[in-house]
Amino acid sequence: MFTLIKLIQSLFGALHSEGTEGQLAAGIVLGSFLGLTPLVNLHNAVIVAALVLLNVSFAGGMLGWALFVPIGFLLDPLFDWIGHTLLLDVPALTPLWTSLYNTSIVPLTNFNNTVVLGSFVFALLFAVPLFLLTRWAVVRYRVTVGERVKQSRLYKAMTASKAYNVYKMFRP
Amino acid sequence: MKVKIFRWRAVGPLLVLFVIAGILWWLFADTIARRESQKVGTQILGAQVEIQKLHLDLRHGKVLIGGLTIASPHEAFKNLLQADELVADIDVVPLTEKKLIINRIAANGLRFGTPRATDGRVAATSGDGIAGRVLAETREWASQFQIPVLQLATGKVSIDSLDPRRLSTIPAATALGARADSSRRAWQSAFDSLRLGPTLDSASAALDRLKRARATDLATINEARQTIDRLKRARDRVTTLERNVKIGVSELQAGLNGLDSARQRDYAFARSLLKLPSLDAPEIGAAVFGPGAIKPFERVLYYAQLARRYMPPGLLPRATTGPSRVRRAGEDVRFPKERALPAFLLRSAELSFLLQPNSAQPQKYAGQLTGLTSDPALYGRPTAFQASGPQLAAGAMLNHVRAIPVDTAGASIGGVTLPAFQVPGVPLTLDPGAATTQLGFTLNGDTIRARFAIRSTNVRWTRDSGFTNSTVGGLIWQAVSGISNLDVEARLSGPLHHPDLAVRSNLDQAIASRLRAVLGEQVAAAEKQVHDRVDALINDKVGPVRARVTEVQSQAQAQIAQQRTRIDELQKSLEQRLRQLLGGVRLP
Repeated sequence: MFTLIKLIQSLFGALHSEGTEGQLAAGIVLGSFLGLTPLVNLHNAVIVAALVLLNVSFAGGMLGWALFVPIGFLLDPLFDWIGHTLLLDVPALTPLWTSLYNTSIVPLTNFNNTVVLGSFVFALLFAVPLFLLTRWAVVRYRVTVGERVKQSRLYKAMTASKAYNVYKMFRP
Repeated sequence: MKVKIFRWRAVGPLLVLFVIAGILWWLFADTIARRESQKVGTQILGAQVEIQKLHLDLRHGKVLIGGLTIASPHEAFKNLLQADELVADIDVVPLTEKKLIINRIAANGLRFGTPRATDGRVAATSGDGIAGRVLAETREWASQFQIPVLQLATGKVSIDSLDPRRLSTIPAATALGARADSSRRAWQSAFDSLRLGPTLDSASAALDRLKRARATDLATINEARQTIDRLKRARDRVTTLERNVKIGVSELQAGLNGLDSARQRDYAFARSLLKLPSLDAPEIGAAVFGPGAIKPFERVLYYAQLARRYMPPGLLPRATTGPSRVRRAGEDVRFPKERALPAFLLRSAELSFLLQPNSAQPQKYAGQLTGLTSDPALYGRPTAFQASGPQLAAGAMLNHVRAIPVDTAGASIGGVTLPAFQVPGVPLTLDPGAATTQLGFTLNGDTIRARFAIRSTNVRWTRDSGFTNSTVGGLIWQAVSGISNLDVEARLSGPLHHPDLAVRSNLDQAIASRLRAVLGEQVAAAEKQVHDRVDALINDKVGPVRARVTEVQSQAQAQIAQQRTRIDELQKSLEQRLRQLLGGVRLP
């Protein structure tokens, strides 16, 4: 329940933050990497660091993560296929994988796992369309129903909570 | 408005986050490593791997494992091995490449075949992963050796339904009938083309004229001579035809013999539908001990095949099942590279273990394992294992360095009390007591050669309660209950997918003679019944074909013989008359 409230808080907080729609979209894109790829992997530590250090919407990142986790589960067979194709069925890439596999640190990313590689490549290719689509959607939201939501009692109640104060620390 | 790219004030919290992660790692590394080791071990072996304690000391490159238990992949409530303590010296730097290089492991207090409270089989129950697939394959492989012996205990003999379409005599008879018809037409046509009728008529007329002619009637004499020549040529043509007919007749005869062979094959096929054991002594051995004897082969093959999957020869990329997690596991692909380290290497392991740990004086043994690696082509040397002790000699070598892998194993264990087991198909329990067990196994590419033997001098037999009312069972009991020696040997050889199994034991002759005494008449009656059934199905087809073939043969031969006789008679008459007319005078 708390997670759900936090998610809704994040959603509204992000949508009504002072950040630009580009910052929000970038946050969601970074969050989508966390949701689409298996979480416990080295590349996701880099994504989290980027989400924290870059001036993008952290709430957008959390929102993107939450939204894309179920999509990641659903698309796992596709990721497996993409990863299998790239790792085993494209001979031209074999020298690259062999070189990476025998390099320090890189194998710790589990790039040689079909689902990890497939989901990462998918997230990478999906990043640009997702960024453009999200940015357009945020703009549309803000010019249409955004102001009315901001005046609603529910929104005010949520933004008054402690969790929101924590969130504000990372808002763009 | 200019948007800043970096959020510098978040550096502090991020560092705090990393410090917290570091502290958590420091606190829980042992637990994480222990759980991961259990998970990976379970996945690789297809049986539960449990570790009570694991301590990582990366600064000194040491890993300490306490209370290791590996369940048996084949038996529900048995462990494959338990170890009190394992101390491993590892290279730390290769860990950054996610490669595990263990220089030395010292394993103390190894025990084998200990009981466990829960079912530790994973591959057998889930069938997932490489271990699950290998287990299913080896089970299917072992199932080809199942021999129907269940009728031994009751003495019942039954016959499966006989499908006429599976009998080879019927199509053979149909084909032979068609061939006979075809031969008849061909011979008739050849016979007609000889045109013997006009020749013989002309010869008869010439003979009549010659009978009325005088010695000076030169024209008639010359005509007679020409007629004789025509008759000779006609006889040559008949001879040629006769030769062809003889060849055809012999082919038809071979066809008839073929029908007899086909009938014998059908008898054998129908006999195979009989659910009764063969009464030959070697087959008794296979029937009684085969299913039990195949188990050690199945188990060794399981580990050999696992080794081939996890330690493949060559340097091509290899995919194995990925780590189990909430998300799909996928596949982990290894990319071995020349002159690089393998993904896993255990250079040397020194093993100290106990046999018969529960006895008053458990025996201590020592062993060594070297060169266990995931990439044998990179390591360049085969994996070797050897163990020895007062009554034990064991060794194994997995040579996957070259393209064709060769796996060998051999062991001889003496004085080990084997558990009592039920003899398959017979409600008898055999307790081998303290026995000497030998195993030899070679898997060279896809060719297997293996031998398993048990020798005991203190065998005890127990009769199951369900045996009381069985006559055959009672006789087998009489045959074996007085035997205290056991000498069983199973040999396996040939291509892996379908090797030959030969099992012999000192009980074969005893059981066979008893069975023959009781089942002999019943088997003979069943075999006669089977013969009658086959005869009933094929006689309707074979009888007419046989008659037709005989008729075609005799008709052709009679026709030829008749014409030849006629030709010979006419020629003889003409020559005789000529001699009378000329009185020995030879005309030009």
